[in-house]
Amino acid sequence: METRPGSAKFDGPDGTGHPLVAGLRIECMHAVEPRLLLAPRAPPPAPRTDGRAIGCPAMSAPNPGTAGPAGADMSALIRAIAERGDRDAFARLFRHFAPRLKAFLMRGGLPANAAEELAQETMLAVWRKASYFDPARAAASTWIFTIARNLSIDLKRRERHGQTSRAEMLEEGVDEASGETILMGAERDARVRAALARLSEDQATIVRLSFFQDKPHSQIAQELGIPLGTAKSRVRLALARLRTLLEDLK
Amino acid sequence: MSVSSHPSDETLLRHAAGTLPAGPKLVVDLHAAGCPRCREMIRDLEAVGGTLLEGMAEVPLASDAFARVMARADLPELRKPIVPPPALPVPRGLVLPGGIALPSQLAARRIGALRPVAPGVRMGKVHVPEDPGTRVLLFHIGPGRSIPEHTHDGLEYTHILCGSFSDQTGRYGPGDLVEADAQIAHTPRVDETGDCVCIAAFEGRLRFSGLLGVALRPFF
Repeated sequence: METRPGSAKFDGPDGTGHPLVAGLRIECMHAVEPRLLLAPRAPPPAPRTDGRAIGCPAMSAPNPGTAGPAGADMSALIRAIAERGDRDAFARLFRHFAPRLKAFLMRGGLPANAAEELAQETMLAVWRKASYFDPARAAASTWIFTIARNLSIDLKRRERHGQTSRAEMLEEGVDEASGETILMGAERDARVRAALARLSEDQATIVRLSFFQDKPHSQIAQELGIPLGTAKSRVRLALARLRTLLEDLK
Repeated sequence: MSVSSHPSDETLLRHAAGTLPAGPKLVVDLHAAGCPRCREMIRDLEAVGGTLLEGMAEVPLASDAFARVMARADLPELRKPIVPPPALPVPRGLVLPGGIALPSQLAARRIGALRPVAPGVRMGKVHVPEDPGTRVLLFHIGPGRSIPEHTHDGLEYTHILCGSFSDQTGRYGPGDLVEADAQIAHTPRVDETGDCVCIAAFEGRLRFSGLLGVALRPFF
């Protein structure tokens, strides 16, 4: 079936007859140890004095290694959805990100069925909002992360207060970036990954736990076997170190 | 005066991770709108989120997950039109110095009338419908006056819209965000040079001391 922008979505009475749908298998390969979450996919970063090498354009992006297609490819897939309503591209993107999204959301505390729902919602939003994606602003994985984050904030609010949020609607129209130097999305991605790779194992754990936990201090205290007060200052130190690395790598 | 006081890195991380409650998030957004340094850090921390997502071990979805998403993708989207919310009138009792307007994030929110709560101090409640449990207050404080003494269990985030105040930790001006934890007993005093308008969000329970606690009960 030929797919074209716009009209493609409505070609048939329903879209379920598409061969891709029937043929899709969710593959689960390359399981990664949780401990290795922050391990770089890229080759070890260049020494600090050679920081410019890290900021290469997307084409020389990190070797995809075992973690699937490279970020630049992922960006191209999103563009293909935006420009042509390309279902093949969406299927590939789905295969790569949906199982990671589900894992990510479960890690953030959602039960498996809710994480499944939200992973599907996120991918649906990726399809619908593909034209908003700007590779100069964010890497594909970062953009998809922010969609999942906003949807899960909305979900938590609905659960707690039965309210829908207008936050996401507001954010979409806002572009405060005018006139500001924006790093290429892929460049930022590479720099952030390099900075994370330079953290000590404990500091990487702290950053990861701070990201996933609502109240991370007690979790960090438990995980690293340190008192609560110490955990607080360790978080501060780990993030200060991350900030320094991020600035050094610019 | 340029921005000199910023949210902590941990607050910026919680903002990026989506775990910062709605009230503090609003106050941090107000600060970030005028602070390229914090906008940049938030973007970097969002990229940390992207990196974490990329590195997750896959958890397989239901076998029909893709089919279900595609079936919905083919439906015309029930899309709420994105219309910028209209600016609401400046809350009663708030007088902003010439040339200063409420930032758009605030102008679009319902803010209760500012009522006197102490000599030279008026206070109004900022409505945060997406998280009714959150406490966000707008203060209009006269020269030389102090924010009423209060205690809170969690962090307090104060963003200065105009004017300046000082406390034991320093002097703060427009665009600054001051983060104070429960351990810091601080009584910010507005500088003699002019009125100060600031917005404060609180995590945890908030209590004003003495009679004021009674007077403010209708706010909570």
